[in-house]
Amino acid sequence: MSLLDLKLLRDLRALKSQAFAVALVMACGLAMMIMTRSLILSLEDTRDDYYRGHRFAQVFARLKRAPQAVAGQLAAIPGVAAVQTGIALQATLDLPGMDEPATGLILSLPESGELQLNRLYLRAGRMLVGRAPAGQILAGEAFAEANRLRPGSEISAVLYGRRQTFRIAGIVLSPEFVFEAPPGAALPNNKTYGVFWMPYKELATASNLDGAFNNVSLTLAPGVAEEAVIAAVDRVLQPYGGRGAYGRDSHPSHTRVRDEINILQGLSVGFPLVFLSVAAFMTHAVMSRQVTLQREQIAMLKACGFSNRQIGWHYLKFAFVIVFAGIVLGVVGGVALGHRLVDMYHLFFRFPELEFQLARGVLVAAAVVSGLAAVTGVWGAVRHAVHLPPAEAMRPEPPASFRPALIERLGLGRAFTASFRMALRNIERRPARALLTTVALALATGILVVPSSFRDGINHVLDYQWDLIQRQTVFVSLIEPGPVRTLADFRALPGVVLAEPTRGAPVELVAGNYSRRLGLIGLPARATLNRIIGADGRQLILPARGVVLSIKLAEVLHVRPGDMLQIRVLDGKRPVLTVPVAGLSEDFAGTAAFMELDTLNHLLGEGDRISGAYLTVRAGAWREFLRATKEIPRIGNVVIKEAIREGFRRTTAESIGLIQKIYLTFATVVAFGIVYNSARISLSERQRELATLRVVGFTQGEVGAVLIGELVLLTLLAMPFGLLIGSGLSGAILQTVNTEFVRLPLILTPANFAFAVLVVTLASLVSAYLACRRLNRLDLVGVLKARD
Amino acid sequence: MTRAETPKPFAALARPGEPVFQVRGLTKTYGEGEAAVHALEEVDLDCHAGEFVVVLGASGSGKSTLLNLLGGLDSPTHGTLRYRDWDLAGADEAALTQYRRNSVGFVFQFYNLIPSLTARENVALITEIAPDPMSPEEALHLVGLSARLDHFPAQLSGGEQQRVAIARAIAKRPAVLMCDEPTGALDVHTGIVVLEAIEHINRELGTLTLVITHNAVIAEMADRVLTLSDGRIIHERRNARRAAVGSLAW
Ligand SMILES: Nc1ncnc2c1ncn2[C@@H]1O[C@H](COP(=O)(O)OP(=O)(O)OP(=O)(O)O)[C@@H](O)[C@H]1O
Ligand SMILES: [Mg+2]
Repeated sequence: MSLLDLKLLRDLRALKSQAFAVALVMACGLAMMIMTRSLILSLEDTRDDYYRGHRFAQVFARLKRAPQAVAGQLAAIPGVAAVQTGIALQATLDLPGMDEPATGLILSLPESGELQLNRLYLRAGRMLVGRAPAGQILAGEAFAEANRLRPGSEISAVLYGRRQTFRIAGIVLSPEFVFEAPPGAALPNNKTYGVFWMPYKELATASNLDGAFNNVSLTLAPGVAEEAVIAAVDRVLQPYGGRGAYGRDSHPSHTRVRDEINILQGLSVGFPLVFLSVAAFMTHAVMSRQVTLQREQIAMLKACGFSNRQIGWHYLKFAFVIVFAGIVLGVVGGVALGHRLVDMYHLFFRFPELEFQLARGVLVAAAVVSGLAAVTGVWGAVRHAVHLPPAEAMRPEPPASFRPALIERLGLGRAFTASFRMALRNIERRPARALLTTVALALATGILVVPSSFRDGINHVLDYQWDLIQRQTVFVSLIEPGPVRTLADFRALPGVVLAEPTRGAPVELVAGNYSRRLGLIGLPARATLNRIIGADGRQLILPARGVVLSIKLAEVLHVRPGDMLQIRVLDGKRPVLTVPVAGLSEDFAGTAAFMELDTLNHLLGEGDRISGAYLTVRAGAWREFLRATKEIPRIGNVVIKEAIREGFRRTTAESIGLIQKIYLTFATVVAFGIVYNSARISLSERQRELATLRVVGFTQGEVGAVLIGELVLLTLLAMPFGLLIGSGLSGAILQTVNTEFVRLPLILTPANFAFAVLVVTLASLVSAYLACRRLNRLDLVGVLKARD
Repeated sequence: MTRAETPKPFAALARPGEPVFQVRGLTKTYGEGEAAVHALEEVDLDCHAGEFVVVLGASGSGKSTLLNLLGGLDSPTHGTLRYRDWDLAGADEAALTQYRRNSVGFVFQFYNLIPSLTARENVALITEIAPDPMSPEEALHLVGLSARLDHFPAQLSGGEQQRVAIARAIAKRPAVLMCDEPTGALDVHTGIVVLEAIEHINRELGTLTLVITHNAVIAEMADRVLTLSDGRIIHERRNARRAAVGSLAW
């Protein structure tokens, strides 16, 4: 080892806690980057393998009923590679020991051989192939796990009004249900919604669909445009009650996985970037100070014939050691956290196997990025070192010129203690230094605001969704739209206080070149249970003419209130109507379109019908109510708000909560790192002066007060800026994370700000305390002997 | 002077009496216009191998400036400055670095030791990059510090630190040795030890030695004594006989 390296090593040892603080900040940024990039890689790879291996379809369609022969017509569409037809049937499930009614989607297995598309993966038990004996069923894993069902367990279902009991033969997974949630639901509730498969014959008989199908999936030949095939499929299926084909882009499970990856992608850039910038900033502060401290050493090295390159490299190495430590810590942290998060993703994504895969490419990127960050941070300092004229440095630094601080000049000096006045003068003497420290403290504060704003945004969305918009206890849907008098039946159920009808219809909304398929929701004009809220937070009254769109949908369709919009109904008589956009509603998840119920019924031309109802139920009659609903055969789904909310708390909220906790921990670490580093640099600059004070008889307390006073002053100064920076950062990072599926609003709460302020204040106090302890251990003679 | 041809000739010692520095009209001005400080003005000077030159002068007279220019730490504002066959005045940074590395030993007024390295390591730092150095132990032995090899600067007295600095300067067997007030902070006895070490190098290796001092007594051990005032050499004196270091007292 060369002696210059030995010097490096000893310098590092002397600065170990500061170097560690910088490395830790860097590690936080890298850990996040490695964690998120690896998760993205894990999810993408696993998903792609799964899709390929189990032949996930590319185009999907539901219809009323078509004879098997139509399958040939579909296969004949140019560009179609493979077709899988079958039956999909909604059924009410009856689970022993569960009050709430559960819904199952039952899909058919082919009469011979395996499924062509959307093949199943057997997790446990055995597969059902061909004409298996009656009364057997395959259950999706999410539901089975949530309800503790195993192969051999029994389950009752009401199929077309007939209760039947099935024995579970196997537990399976399907690429079509990586995310197993009821149609239209943003959140899974695995306890009350499950997917099942049973032999075609049995299901067809139960649903009067023998020799026919109502569900189709297909794949495309390579290079074929999806839109053309979708249009052709729609043409073929139209006579058979086709509800509109759609591609993977509208597939609920696929889009949910895709959105999760998008969110991770946003997180993999924004946060690490902020943290690494902070690390670069800290490296700069540490190195600048180091170069200033070693001014004469640098000059001596130069005088003795060390080249600029050697000296520059010496200080760069200093930074690289820190980077290296940061990378090691970051990789270890990132991998450990990545593993935890992968486990968590099992909660709502069902893959045969989701293994944590380290994104190796990102390691290189991490090394490069953090190396760059450090080099950027060090550059100025090293350049300064390199350009130091050796002769110049032989002279001692001119003594700093002090003068009374501004406040003293204004005649307010007497109000303060000597220590405080000294702190004030210090700040004023070196405004650039004070500014840097203030920026650092502000960054520390700002970083702390971001993760909490995430949490508050989510909470806001949930409260908004579930308290402000959806005020029902339960939503019940009918298997088929029924007459309005059904509403009276619902009202008559035990405990029902209020019932409001709704009608849904699959439609395509077209505005110029933009179109979107979704379920148009019909509601009473002044609904009180499922309300439509405008951007101003007030309820929108549905007009007799026109549709109300969610803000995001209007954005997708490029329309504004007053613009005309074509509605093509994809069901029944398939009417087409052009209506104005009457208003925009605020919501934070997915896209939605609303219409006044009577107007919608009129448009559909099938008479006054409803497809479901929102109900409020008295708490006391809850059990009775549930028991009663189980007896109504036409009921499709029973969606209990609290159950969804609870499910959300256990799954999504937990996962987001975990990520948020990780980030908040990181932010806290970073805040401490920044503040501690600032305190140390400030101590190093003031060492000689403070030691002199001690020598002439100031007490440790009085001298410490100078140091603490300065830090406290700067902290107070930095807070408002920090909160501002934090708000800006939160907004920017939310922007990168927001998708069509979930949009988090920027919510900044006093609690969030208070927490940030508290942490930074605490960090300042702890750092000041540590600095004072160093000061008290100072070898006074040594400090005064060394020229600084 | 290009980089490729520099190292070897710089390293070689000149024969005694051979001219080493040839200085004509050397001027160094700091700042510009009103605020300009003429640290050196039109200085002419010749120095020869093996000479021991003492530079005297009031504070601010330009002594350090002269030494810095000769040692390649700085470049003159104008004037000729030749080191043997090379033009130092026009040399670039890289060439000056090579020059300092191979040919010059510095002893600074303020020691300038690396606090994180021991005495031995401070010397070794330089011998590592010099072409034909003596061992750090030998250099430290010459300044009487054999017993302090593994002490850090903070564990040494001021005089001991200065002696380490001298060991560091002589360890590379330099062609020229520049000492800026090497005994300024030392008591008589230690000062003598330090001067002996410097003289030893001067005699044994034929190193051209320039010593700045405020102490006129030290001038007795020189071949030649220069006196500076306001950036000019106002007086030059040759000693008929160099006094032995041991006989000096102040
Ligand atoms: N970088 C500089 N900028 C401006 N003036 C300078 C600079 N360096 C030196 N000077 C001035 O040049 C003059 C000569 O300085 P120099 O250091 O050579 O004096 P000196 O003879 O070594 O003094 P001393 O005995 O106090 O060390 C002084 O007036 C000094 O103020
Ligand atoms: Mg001087």
